[in-house]
Amino acid sequence: MVSVGTIVWLASELMFFAALFAAYFTIRGVATGLWEQETAKLNIPFAFANTTVLVLSSVTCQLGVFAAERGQVGRSGSVLNVAGWGLREWFVLTYAMGAFFIGGQVFEYAALIGENVTLQSSSYGSMFYLTTGFHGLHVTGGLIAFLFVLGRTFMARTFTHEQAVTAIVVSYYWHFVDVVWIALFATIYLLK
Amino acid sequence: MKAEAWVFGFLAVFFLVVAPSYWFLSSDPTGTAALVMSFFLAVLVAFYLGFHAKKMDPRPEDRKEAEIVDGAGELGFFPPYSWWPLWCACALTLCVLGVVFGWWLALVGVGAGSVALIGWVFEYYRGEHAH
Repeated sequence: MVSVGTIVWLASELMFFAALFAAYFTIRGVATGLWEQETAKLNIPFAFANTTVLVLSSVTCQLGVFAAERGQVGRSGSVLNVAGWGLREWFVLTYAMGAFFIGGQVFEYAALIGENVTLQSSSYGSMFYLTTGFHGLHVTGGLIAFLFVLGRTFMARTFTHEQAVTAIVVSYYWHFVDVVWIALFATIYLLK
Repeated sequence: MKAEAWVFGFLAVFFLVVAPSYWFLSSDPTGTAALVMSFFLAVLVAFYLGFHAKKMDPRPEDRKEAEIVDGAGELGFFPPYSWWPLWCACALTLCVLGVVFGWWLALVGVGAGSVALIGWVFEYYRGEHAH
């Protein structure tokens, strides 16, 4: 039931991002000169590295889900023994990678504001910050959700089916946000 | 669940045909973006339903010879009552009103929202429900 609800909600989230993509392509269609001038300021290698971290965090998130499906909440050996990691270790790593992505985005914003690309500067600035900003807010929401999953595992004495379901639906959300970012990255940094 | 997966699968095929046709006929980026994303929406739901249809046993509604009583039983855990969603909604109202009246109000909303959200998520993990 929870996972069906999550998918229905993610479908509506997809259409929220559809509106942002539509707005981006619409304004890009009428302001091609502005796009050529402003996209030259983007730091593509930096954004690519940041994207790689986010994509890999989906992998670590899924490994956490596999651990949850085995019913393994904590690690079986030492922290350095990655093969013995449980849900908690994988989700903490995923959290760190997601936080790294957000930190990278802050650096990127700071550099762009330094080059006079702001929310008010032009329609390009508005679209850049609206699309990446709303995505960043979604990643931040996901990070909070990871904390709640981890909190639930520590609040209860036993690892219940409900906790596994929570971990699974949070992973659905994380994969969704990740795929949206791949589309956004392709749109903003590659397609320009 | 296969029937539901097919419904969304057909929708995906429909958008796969319509989206490029629309682009070639109109060169309109707005509608094309919306249609392409509608395609992904249909793919998302079709993939999820198809994936689960493979893993689960046929439900009563998937079997021709099933009786109404076969569908009886527990569907899931539903809290009998909870006030936390109300407080979450109130906190979100403060955040949105903050955009209108000033960002300080949004900060108050974030504070109230953190308490409400924590209360909601951990409602059945503390007090007499602790397990």
